[in-house]
Amino acid sequence: MLNSLLYTLFEGSLLGMVYAIAALGLSLTMGIMGIVNVAHSAFIMLGSFFALELLERLGIDPIFSFFVALPAFFIFGALAYRVIVTRVERASQTQGLVALFGLMVLIESLSTMAWTTNTRVITAPYTNSHVVIAGITLASVNIIASALALLLLGAFWWFMRYTLTGRAIRAMGQDRTAARTLGIDVGKLSMLMFGLGIASAGAAGVAIGMVFPFAPQTQIEWLAWAFLIVILGGMGKVENTLIAGLFVGLLQTFATSILPFDYVYLLLYVGLAIVLVVRREGLIGAARRTI
Amino acid sequence: MPSLFFLSPAKRSRQRDVWAVVAIGLALVVYGAISEDLGLVNTLGTVFMYVVLTQAWNILGGYGGYLNFGMVTYFGVGAYTTALFYQYFQVSPFLTTPLAGVAAAIFGILIGIPTLRLRGAYFAVVTMIITFAVQIAVLAFPFTQGAMGVYLSPLSLDPRAVEQLFYFVFFGLAVVTTILVYGIEHSNFGWALVAIREDEDAAEIIGVRTTEIKWIANALAAFLTGIAGGIYAERVLYIEPTSTFALDISLNVVLMAVIGGAASWKGPLIGAPLVLLVAQFLRVTITSEANRAIFSVIVILIALYVPAGVIGMIEEIRRRRALRRAKLAALAGSE
Repeated sequence: MLNSLLYTLFEGSLLGMVYAIAALGLSLTMGIMGIVNVAHSAFIMLGSFFALELLERLGIDPIFSFFVALPAFFIFGALAYRVIVTRVERASQTQGLVALFGLMVLIESLSTMAWTTNTRVITAPYTNSHVVIAGITLASVNIIASALALLLLGAFWWFMRYTLTGRAIRAMGQDRTAARTLGIDVGKLSMLMFGLGIASAGAAGVAIGMVFPFAPQTQIEWLAWAFLIVILGGMGKVENTLIAGLFVGLLQTFATSILPFDYVYLLLYVGLAIVLVVRREGLIGAARRTI
Repeated sequence: MPSLFFLSPAKRSRQRDVWAVVAIGLALVVYGAISEDLGLVNTLGTVFMYVVLTQAWNILGGYGGYLNFGMVTYFGVGAYTTALFYQYFQVSPFLTTPLAGVAAAIFGILIGIPTLRLRGAYFAVVTMIITFAVQIAVLAFPFTQGAMGVYLSPLSLDPRAVEQLFYFVFFGLAVVTTILVYGIEHSNFGWALVAIREDEDAAEIIGVRTTEIKWIANALAAFLTGIAGGIYAERVLYIEPTSTFALDISLNVVLMAVIGGAASWKGPLIGAPLVLLVAQFLRVTITSEANRAIFSVIVILIALYVPAGVIGMIEEIRRRRALRRAKLAALAGSE
């Protein structure tokens, strides 16, 4: 009894960290730039295929791919920002949503052409091994993926909190005009922020690919998960995203141990609706309605 | 003083558009009655169905600026309503279709109450998420028969009559929906929605009951979509959760509305046939993923450069032409 409880607790926390990095970039771009990047999960899916291709073609370990994905996807993100986001940033929110929605459909259909709709898994040397900690057997991929996730979350937290650039980004999130008046180059920082958001999506994709099976058309489910976490945790704060991710992970594993699998999703979605009714913009984040 | 010059040409072109649409409609009625090409009649039936869905989306999405990425939820609820009525009570879907609309509208209200208090982007993503939840629920509940799906019995008519029946049913629905959206566009309700899209806080200050108006618009869209779904069930004769709640349908609706031009009753009339007929044509030459990719590029370009879609482009050209004509007239007058 105690063992299964501990197992659920560990497993939930491990999954929660992976969920948290899936939502990290979405939370930051939403909170700081006010852009709802619906193409976020498409980049997560690309990250998974990135790791798969590197492993199958060049034999590169996914752990290494996790770090390679960061600069590679940063370039993707900066490019997407330059080509698409800059043009719709000052337009209505609807227009930006439509453009990014188009990007999501584009990435998904191109990926389907490249990799078909078959479900894939990444088989690294440690994929099927297990680790026994305090009498509990845990899959080693889960531990590796969540360690990587924690590392990334820590790096983002440190960056946003202690570096001058991070502070400037937060200032921009609080008041764009005021930040500009203080001499902050908002255009450049926005590109950096969007790039970092996509970089974290790519890295999250690698971690997710290590733990879960994936296919181009299932990316949209990750958008649902990421959005769920952003709504629960509020936007723009790394630590809140982690807390919300852990909450969802734990809720999922606990629910799975008592309910049939299908109902777990239903429970989460119903929970989401309740949160939306009770707290308009997340449990942790403050309501940000202008009037 | 350019506005003085525009006033009458704009009104005239609006009337001209209405007559053009009526003429095309009459031509389609004649075509449906005499055509022997069942393939094309079938495709046009699907076009009309999508016109209904896209017009319904247009009410809240186009005028109100609240994008619904999960129209298929209402569609699927409608389809399952008529199918289950047939399954358990043997009532023809044609009779229970209004109930399908009502069921979808109730659903729309349930979804709308929590989500429409939020600003646009939340609504967009949450509607998409809800599609999954409903799909999972339909898979899990015993009375919807899960992945097995529900069968309906075919109509006892010859194939041509069946195709013609659905052609005219969807055509009629498309006409009714288009008239309704035309009415909304030129009513206080429509202007309130536009005010919400342009600046929701300002709209609230000048006394627009923003939340209630969004709820009504969403419920109305759900009702219309549910009716289309109810008839769809009888058309395909077999529905199951994966294909009935397919995200593809939601995506198509948004693509069609954006390409045709949201916030105009004419947009869906252009968008739905354009996307479907071009897709049909491309499918012969290249795969369906490729045409999805092409349409998504078009959507990105439209969002970046012509937010009002094809119809907006046409209107822009007209406006420029009218301006040029007015300038020429002014020049001629001064000489």
